[in-house]
Amino acid sequence: MQRRDLLKAMAAFGVYAMVPSFARGANGAKKYDGVTLNVSTFSTAYPTLLRQWLPEFEALTGAKVNFDTPAFPVYNQRADLELSTKGSAYDVVNVTFIYTSRWINSGWLTPLDEFIANPNLTSAEWDVHDFLAGGLGPETGRDGKLYGIPWVVEGMISGASRFDLVTQAGLKYPDTTDDLVKVFQAVNKKERVAAYVTDSHYGWTFIPYLQAFGGNVFRNPPDDLFPTLDTPEAIAAADYFARLIREFGPNGGLTYTADQSTQALKLGRVNFSDSSQPYLAQLGDPASSRTLKTVNFGQLVQGPAGRFPGMAVHALGIPAGSKNKEAAWAFIQWALSKQTTQRAVQAGYGSPTRRSDIDSQAYRSKQIINGVDLAQLSLSAIERAAQGGYMKYRTVDVYPQVDQQLNKAIALIISGQLSAKQAMQQAQTASIADLKRSGAKI
Amino acid sequence: MKGKTNWRSQQRNAWLAGLMPSIILLVVITLLPAMALVITSLTPLSLTNPQETFNFSDPLINYRQLLEDPRFLNSIITQIKLSLVSVLFQVIIGLGLALLLNGTSAWLHTARTLFLIPMVLPPIIVALIWKIIYTPDISPLHQVLELWGITLNSLIANPATALWAIAVADIWQWFPFTMLMVLAALQMIPRDPLEAASLDGASARNIFRYIVLPYIKPVLVVCALFRLIDSFKAFPLIYILTDGGPGTVTEVTNYYGFIQAFNFSYWGYGSAIAVVILVGVFVLSYIIGKAGWSDERKASA
Repeated sequence: MQRRDLLKAMAAFGVYAMVPSFARGANGAKKYDGVTLNVSTFSTAYPTLLRQWLPEFEALTGAKVNFDTPAFPVYNQRADLELSTKGSAYDVVNVTFIYTSRWINSGWLTPLDEFIANPNLTSAEWDVHDFLAGGLGPETGRDGKLYGIPWVVEGMISGASRFDLVTQAGLKYPDTTDDLVKVFQAVNKKERVAAYVTDSHYGWTFIPYLQAFGGNVFRNPPDDLFPTLDTPEAIAAADYFARLIREFGPNGGLTYTADQSTQALKLGRVNFSDSSQPYLAQLGDPASSRTLKTVNFGQLVQGPAGRFPGMAVHALGIPAGSKNKEAAWAFIQWALSKQTTQRAVQAGYGSPTRRSDIDSQAYRSKQIINGVDLAQLSLSAIERAAQGGYMKYRTVDVYPQVDQQLNKAIALIISGQLSAKQAMQQAQTASIADLKRSGAKI
Repeated sequence: MKGKTNWRSQQRNAWLAGLMPSIILLVVITLLPAMALVITSLTPLSLTNPQETFNFSDPLINYRQLLEDPRFLNSIITQIKLSLVSVLFQVIIGLGLALLLNGTSAWLHTARTLFLIPMVLPPIIVALIWKIIYTPDISPLHQVLELWGITLNSLIANPATALWAIAVADIWQWFPFTMLMVLAALQMIPRDPLEAASLDGASARNIFRYIVLPYIKPVLVVCALFRLIDSFKAFPLIYILTDGGPGTVTEVTNYYGFIQAFNFSYWGYGSAIAVVILVGVFVLSYIIGKAGWSDERKASA
């Protein structure tokens, strides 16, 4: 035997020894030979990494994977429709945060506890408790069972692409809603840079301000879902927030998506934005960001009632109608194994969900941009949201309807069609009508 | 007599047998889904509440709610505004260009081909082209105006201009349809009356008014009504450019139905909206039948 053959044999033995229990079949056969798994998530960083490594999973298990990653809204519509029919078109789906309660509590997903507890299907080192509690919480149904394993936990933070303009004005990073307006007044249109823009999905970006002013979406979610969009606090928050975009936003700021907002910051056309960490971390990309040297980050501002940064969790789950549940679990286990998530972090993935990854030097060192620890900012937002419980509004099954009403209301105020009071009262009335139509008891 | 009846009956049966595959296909692919739509519209079906699929306890509840839904009523007004303006300009521009390009030179042939491009582009590409034009940061239109010192506010973020911005994009995409139809009609006009009028000293304006226009009028009517029906299906432009906003100023009925069915999963309510659109399209189709083909019917009678 030559040295090269020996090395090959040793490598093969090593790979076999590392093959986890989910992949081992009888007599050395691949466990899921002949199985085709249909996996669908929306298109973003983690699925892009997984796609590169899919051949390894297929070689390990024998399963063939069809990996579909449409855009976020397209994915949600498709998945919602497919899950509602309890069809078998998908074996693994992304459990979208806003649909979590709707999909889990309607019985459209498969509980994962039995797979996790079965040592023949899940190795002990996989360790579900390594995932952030704040990430697992929303994936737990009313029955106490776990329905999704998180692959991204996003905390909302604030970013400033041209913080040099703020420094020149003799100001600090804004910490309160009052500070924010003062800073924007000082820097708006300086060097043709608009002060602020954010994602026009206002049902996401407006809520931290709504809660900071003491308002909320529902009276007491998830138990009391009576909308509270026309309270004085909600109207004041809507007025304040709409002013940020109307007075300090770029031309057409009302139509900016999350990607557009990030791009505007990277090009230095807009200074501040509130967004989740994976978006704002792109400002630190030397290949595409023109504002790398002037960027700064901070927590979302606090208002009279406190600080309420948003948080979103997306997870992988198995549809109730899947005919390949065991193989689907093998895929999830592989996609979110310590080896795979560590590898993703090494490749630059910015939103790991395992505590072991978040605490790793490899991750932390990549998240320091211009001396600011983005990971810590995001983590504190996630922990604040998990402890404060104020994100419960978002995972109730009727939130998509109210989310739409909020999008419309804020757009109406920004575009000057209605006053804050009129728009929020209209949103309140329309939300109640929508909720009644859904059969919700309010 | 009996023999004649038998022959007619056999003839009818033969026609029926020949038509039967088409009729069955039509029923399966058109009538059954339409019936399912109407039946669903009589239930409060929501995807999160599938047990309501066959709940007919209050079959008109969706229709009653539609009458009291200001967003739905507003969407009809928006639909009418968008349809009328875009169809009117599509017909005028299409007619004008067809008259200009009605000739045999190679230049005109090339120009005709170029003008057809918007119509053959996939709707999503048309929407993306106009998204670029209307986004101030990357828009060549905004950049050129800025060079001249003119700051143009975003047309799709302004409630006063958003609907008309969509109408412009729709006109750009569909004027070639009228142009193509009118060009075909123009080339069918016999040369004799045109030459006779010309020899008699008729002006170009009068030739157009008294000879050309009467010839192409049925085509123009059919074009306008086809485009009117098609305008009810406006979707990609609104989805990509404005998402129905700002607020609801560009939310047409079709788009509102989409939101109810696919964003909120209110399939009963969304189906009721679709049925209302269907009725509207039927009415327009009836008008097409009456107006578009009436001359031909008279001629063949």
